[in-house]
Formats: sequence, structure tokens, C-alpha cells
Amino acid sequence: MSVHAGARERGGQPGWVVVLEQELRELWVAGRGLVLCFALSILLSALAYLAATNQALNFLEQRESVNLVVQVGMIVGALLALLAAADAISGERERGTLESLLVAPVSRRQLAGAKLLAALSLWLAAYVILVPYAWFLARDLGIVGTALVASFVVGTLLACFLASFGLLVSLFASSNRVSLSVSLFALLALFAPTQLPGGARQGWFADLLLHVNPVTSGERFVNRVIISGSGWGQEFGWLVSPLVAAALFGAGAVVLASRLRLGGGGAG
Amino acid sequence: MRRLCIWATALLAAGAMLSASAAAATDPAPGLSATVDRAQISTQLGRSFEFRSTITNSGPNAASGLVAHLSVLSVREEPYVDPEDWSPQRVVFLDPIAAGGSRTLRWRMTAVDAGAFGVYVTVLSKDRSAAPAPNTPTIALRVSQRRTLNSGGILPLAIAVPALLGALAIMLRLRRRG
Repeated sequence: MSVHAGARERGGQPGWVVVLEQELRELWVAGRGLVLCFALSILLSALAYLAATNQALNFLEQRESVNLVVQVGMIVGALLALLAAADAISGERERGTLESLLVAPVSRRQLAGAKLLAALSLWLAAYVILVPYAWFLARDLGIVGTALVASFVVGTLLACFLASFGLLVSLFASSNRVSLSVSLFALLALFAPTQLPGGARQGWFADLLLHVNPVTSGERFVNRVIISGSGWGQEFGWLVSPLVAAALFGAGAVVLASRLRLGGGGAG
Repeated sequence: MRRLCIWATALLAAGAMLSASAAAATDPAPGLSATVDRAQISTQLGRSFEFRSTITNSGPNAASGLVAHLSVLSVREEPYVDPEDWSPQRVVFLDPIAAGGSRTLRWRMTAVDAGAFGVYVTVLSKDRSAAPAPNTPTIALRVSQRRTLNSGGILPLAIAVPALLGALAIMLRLRRRG
């Protein structure tokens, strides 16, 4: 990315807005964002087609299908945001463009904030793509609003948390490979408990882990609201972890961005 | 999960047959009876409904260690019934029922398939596992069909969204090169 020295004064816009504009242009006009969204739409099309044409599904299984499509859209959207954020600083470092970025008249926190917002635009795009599929599958079940609002809230919180985590790793990683590897490994570790069999999720310790892990917690919230038809107030406990993680990691990424160094690792 | 349910259903069926044969030889659990508050229920696919069952102990002693179990089965070959889908809470461990006392349970269910079904509650005693378990009379449940999934239009949607995004990506790429 190139931010010229007069960026701060351009059109009276704050520096972070200029950086954000540039990031968005590179992400969306250069085509990478659209290609990723295209891949997501193919995945959602295949899932929605399979769910909609399966006449053997009973009423509950149809709700489960809506839940599946919504969760895939939500998780892949958050994954895209994570990957973009994990590449944000370490990618510049590896391409040799970080130095010119650091001498631009924009504070490091503003720089990190703008890059975080640009990464989150991938989640927003993924959500927009998800809407027609969720509407199609959920319309006759009467859960369109529930599915869309729950997935937006949980998906946004998870995307904020994961993108902030990716950015934090990217701030201090010496190479892009390290940044992406660590981010993906953490993502897999967070997702692994969602695949545990039902019996392994019982007991106070498992319950605690499921509540503490923002991904399992968010997944459980959406499950309960869409499949079981539970009320938001009833299941609010499952939203606490994603909320706290998004706030903590978001603030952490912006605050720790002041320690951004050219060579990575938090040192010169 | 489905395999587990098939096994559970098979075990329940075997248990019911055993208790039926035992009933011919011995008396039902002395003094224990179970009833439901309705004989039939008509509803629509996807709707929730509920009924009550009452377990009465008319014997001379308190009845303890009782377990009530909700069962649902299709009276036709189709559709396949997975009871877990119909009600996530199908087992209730009862507090002791005093002599002459009774306990009423409320069962909530969701009609997940259309068709004709039988719903009943069985009361098992942990202490007298050999004794036949009293069942409530069977509720005749009729679930009428309601459109909950319209597959018409999915193909255009499944093609249109990727096509639109693909065309947009190609257009932008061509524009950048031009």
C-alpha cells in the first residue's frame, strides 16, 4: 500500500480515512475481495441447493439446514476477515512497503484501525452474500428475521475478534508465513470443540470451555436461537464471550499497534 | 445419532412387547395408573403443542423411583420418527408419589413431520423393573402438511449470485488491465 506524505490533509479527511479508502480500493478494486466472495457464493449455492431440494428433511432438519447455511456463511466471512487482517502488516513488511507506510503522517494506531476496518469489510460482504440464501431457506419456516439478525450479531462479533487477533499476530510476526500459520492454527483450535460429540460436551468443565471459547459460544447461541427457537434473553449467556473477546482483542490490536516496528517482533 | 435412535426405538419396542407379554401373566404395577388429558390432537407441521399426563398412585404405599418416558411413533410406515426431534425433553424422574396421590406432567412437543402418529407416556419403576409398566392411553396425533420448504427458485438463485459476483470480478480485472 502506498500512502503519500500529504495524505492527512487530503480533502480535510483524517489520516485513517485515507488509509481505509486506499485499503478498500486495493482489496475490492484489485479483485481479491471479489474473488473470495465469488468462492463463498459457490459454496453457499451448493449447500442451499442441497438443502432446498431434499424432500426427506423434516421440519426440524429444515431449521438445521438454515442453521448450517447461516453458520457456514458466518464462519467463512469471519475467516476471510482473519486472513485479510493477518496479512495486513506482515504482508506489507514482507513486500517491503511497510517502511513507506510508517513514514506517512498517520499514527500507527490509526493505521492499524484502518486496516482492521478494511479486513472487516470482507465479513460485511460475506454477510450480504449470505442474505438471499438465508432468506430463501428460512422464509417458509418463519425464521428469516431471527436467522439474519442472529447471524449478523454473532458473525460481526466473531469477525471483530478474529480480525483483531489476526492483526495482533501480524503486527509482531517477522514474516507473512508465520502470521498466517499462527492465525489459522488458532482458528482451527477454536473451532475444534464444535466438532466434539454431544457426550463430550457435558459436565461443568466442558460447559465452561464452551462458554469461554467465543467461537463455540457464538455457534451455540445461533444454534439455540435458530433450531430450538429460544429467546435472545434466555440464551444471552452464550453471547458474553464473543462480546468480551471482540472488545478486548479489538482494543488490544489498536493499542498495541503503537509498538509496531519495521522488522516485526516488537523491536526495531 | 440416527443409529442410536433406531437402537433406542428397537429397545423400547422390545421393552413394550416384553411388558405386554408379562401383563398377560401378572398384574400391572399395583395401584399405579397413568392417564392423559386428551384423546386426540390435530395440528400443523412445525407447530408446537402440549398435553398433560397424570400418574396416580392408588396403592397403599408411596411409589418411588418412577421414571416417565414420552414416546411417539408413526402408525404408518412413513415417515420415519426420530422422537428426539419431536421433543428434546422426553424423560422425567419423578419424586415419590404418596399413597392416594398423583403427579401431573406437562409434555411439550413440536410436529416435525406430517402424518398420523401415536403419542403415549410410559411409567417405569426403577425398584420394580420386572413389573409391567403402565402406559397412558395413546393420543391420536394428526399433523397436516404445511409448506415449509419451497425448492422452486433455488436453482436460479444458486446460479445468479455466483454469476453476478464472477462477472463483477472479471469486469474489474478487465478494466484494470485496460
